[in-house]
Amino acid sequence: MSGEASTGGLELDREKLFAARLHAARVRPYLATALFALHPVESRRVPTMAVDRHWRCYVSPAFVARTPVEELAGVWVHEVSHLLRDHHGRGDRVARARGLTGAADRLRINIAADCEINDDAYGDGLVPPEGVLTPQSLGLPEGKLMEDYLGRFRLEQWPNLMAAWLDCGSGADGLEREWDLGPDGAHGLSEQERDGIRFRVAQGITGRPGTAPKGWQRWADRALHPPQPWRELLGAAVRTATSGAGAGEDHSHGRPSRRSSALPGIVLPSLRRRPPRVTVVIDTSASVSDGELGSALLEVAAITRAVGGRRDLVSVVSCDAAARIAHPVCQAEGITLIGGGGTDLRTGFTVALRARPRPDVVVVLTDGQTPWPARRPDCRTVVGLFARPVRHVDEDDPDYVPDRPPDWARVVRIG
Amino acid sequence: MPSYTPSPSPSLSASPAPAPARLDVAADLLALLRDTRTEPRPDPQLEALTLAVSADLPVLLWGEPGIGKTAALTQLADTLDLPLTTVIASVHEPSDFSGLPVIGDDPAEQGVPLAPPDWAVRLVRQGRGLLFLDELSTATPAVQAALLRLVLERRIGSLRLPADVRIVAAANPRASAADGWELSAPLANRFVHLQWAHDHEVVIRGLGGTWPRAVLPRLDPALLPGAVDRARRAVCGLLTARPALVHRLPGTETRRGGAWPSPRSWDMALSLIAFATAAGSDRDVLSLLVRGTVGDGSGLELLAWLDRMDLPDPELLLADPVHAELPERGDRRQATLEGVVEVVKSLLTEDRWNAAWALLVRAMETGAPDLVVVPATTLAALRREDWDVPEAIERLAGVVSMSRRADRSMARAAKERTGAGR
Repeated sequence: MSGEASTGGLELDREKLFAARLHAARVRPYLATALFALHPVESRRVPTMAVDRHWRCYVSPAFVARTPVEELAGVWVHEVSHLLRDHHGRGDRVARARGLTGAADRLRINIAADCEINDDAYGDGLVPPEGVLTPQSLGLPEGKLMEDYLGRFRLEQWPNLMAAWLDCGSGADGLEREWDLGPDGAHGLSEQERDGIRFRVAQGITGRPGTAPKGWQRWADRALHPPQPWRELLGAAVRTATSGAGAGEDHSHGRPSRRSSALPGIVLPSLRRRPPRVTVVIDTSASVSDGELGSALLEVAAITRAVGGRRDLVSVVSCDAAARIAHPVCQAEGITLIGGGGTDLRTGFTVALRARPRPDVVVVLTDGQTPWPARRPDCRTVVGLFARPVRHVDEDDPDYVPDRPPDWARVVRIG
Repeated sequence: MPSYTPSPSPSLSASPAPAPARLDVAADLLALLRDTRTEPRPDPQLEALTLAVSADLPVLLWGEPGIGKTAALTQLADTLDLPLTTVIASVHEPSDFSGLPVIGDDPAEQGVPLAPPDWAVRLVRQGRGLLFLDELSTATPAVQAALLRLVLERRIGSLRLPADVRIVAAANPRASAADGWELSAPLANRFVHLQWAHDHEVVIRGLGGTWPRAVLPRLDPALLPGAVDRARRAVCGLLTARPALVHRLPGTETRRGGAWPSPRSWDMALSLIAFATAAGSDRDVLSLLVRGTVGDGSGLELLAWLDRMDLPDPELLLADPVHAELPERGDRRQATLEGVVEVVKSLLTEDRWNAAWALLVRAMETGAPDLVVVPATTLAALRREDWDVPEAIERLAGVVSMSRRADRSMARAAKERTGAGR
């Protein structure tokens, strides 16, 4: 590297580069830890500045020479944002999931990642570099994630994009570059160290709310408490409920094993199969979208079948407003639809529990704007609660707050 | 059945040799296929498993079937020199773990003894061993209940497993196990949860004929007292500063079956830090262990705490600033320098103040200069009027001019915004 530097002519202006980092750290104090953890590496092959997944920052001396300090400060923040937001990991995952293999696809990932960062990275002490890409400049809405932007534009639409594009390196899209030093090179950070820095930055942001812009606060919340996919949560809850004692396949001493006659004097348990009966109670106002409800209902049916329930053991109690959605889904899936309840969730419970034989598990799909039964029913209860950001306001009783689901139910937030 | 011909075929009776010869060739081919080499390769997950097993904590490996959990256990048993007993939980009955009730002549008088299975008897007779309970998550709930008693109380029927038997269980991730099973929060809290994943590169190289051979950690007897001290300081220090972390039951459905902080799991984390320290393990291994014991959030806080604890002692740096070894990583270096200024401030003398300047010069000459700016500004403000300006400050001139450059750049950026135009 040093030999290259001596023949390359232009020296890297370290003072300028570090003055820019100082500027960046002063105007974005919550990113200081991450900025200082980046290890700069002089490289003549990188067009501007680029990062790799090991938190090295490759810097072109020529780029530093021609760029004003205040713009370099913005580039520092931009590059460290790629790493904090794990664009390389997310880029890899999205590429695998959507089958994006070509270099052009990685370029799109880089651009989509730039859009995610740039909509609120600049201003407030940072100058956007010349030709910066923003969602606005591509005619896209602001405040989305890289994965959202990815499907919303095509490269052919913007023939002159290449000129404006900054190659942010493998740290931005997951594709190895020829200048990368790789995992074994010097000054790389291990995965755990990277997690640690991300965690500390996120902690700094949530610890002092109000100093960081919305986008960073959202990121910090997600970094500390990543959102849980509701399908898995609902699956876990239904599975636990249906495979508990008394339902499903289990050993029991209730009836002697068939091996018992061969082994006199020994009491063997036998394997008994008792598939769980599941009743789904749908209680919903018109505010629940058909798609949400339909997919949640299908999900419950699929999970129940997977744990050994037969089709005829899954039934649905529908309230009037939801019958329109429940009917077609149940017909297509071969699920029994039993009687309509009222508009009150308590009626739905009564109908479900009146069935003979009684269900082992009741799954309730609701948006929670409802009274709950006063006492615990005799079977396990899983509540799928549709997220409702805007609370329903009752004009006659503006102070009305809907009851929270009771403690005896396992509650999963959907959507 | 109808097409069966009782007489031997003519070709077979004419030359009896080809049948065994064919198998010989097959044996040769198998021998070639099995002739693989090994190469040493660090394996953090295997190292973490070894340490947790050495620390005598029950480990739960979460991983898809077929990714080499059994192979890892075999290697671990070799390394620890323990005989391996594998029990596939899903093909057993509860009585295989809780003991078979055997009715004797007079049950009312003598009671009903619970007879243990043969492998348990062997294990007790050997006095030591590694018990691997595979496929825990596909066993029936009654079997799981019996197994958990075995894992947690180390009892099988009337037998008690000797102290030198170590237990490892394996389960499929909840998302992929169709008939999956949820660990209840109290049970989950008793395990060290290790996620077992395959390394793409290792698998490709292994299929190509070279499998990795992990160099497993060895506890260094000389480091033991220091390791315990470090572990206690870390956990007690963190929990004193963050009392809310002592006990935090996870609120969401899927996390309840994982690692979460409680006095019990902090105690486990303490042991694991001591083991990792005594083995000289790196931060990645420690991170797997700690996060698998008290959960991600608390685990990361503990690691951050350890990070700060592991920074060089400011007083030692001040004692010999010219030869001081400062951390390479920028954020840690900055934290170290700020720590130094902090201790100088708490006991302010001219000598200490001068030593701090010498240290800042050392920092500027060995790393990125922007890290020095904030500590230098703070240090300059501590000067008493009668103190001479140290020579060292002149050597920090570059830092001062860089700081001014950043100031000017910030002023321009601010003007740019108010000046509009873009």
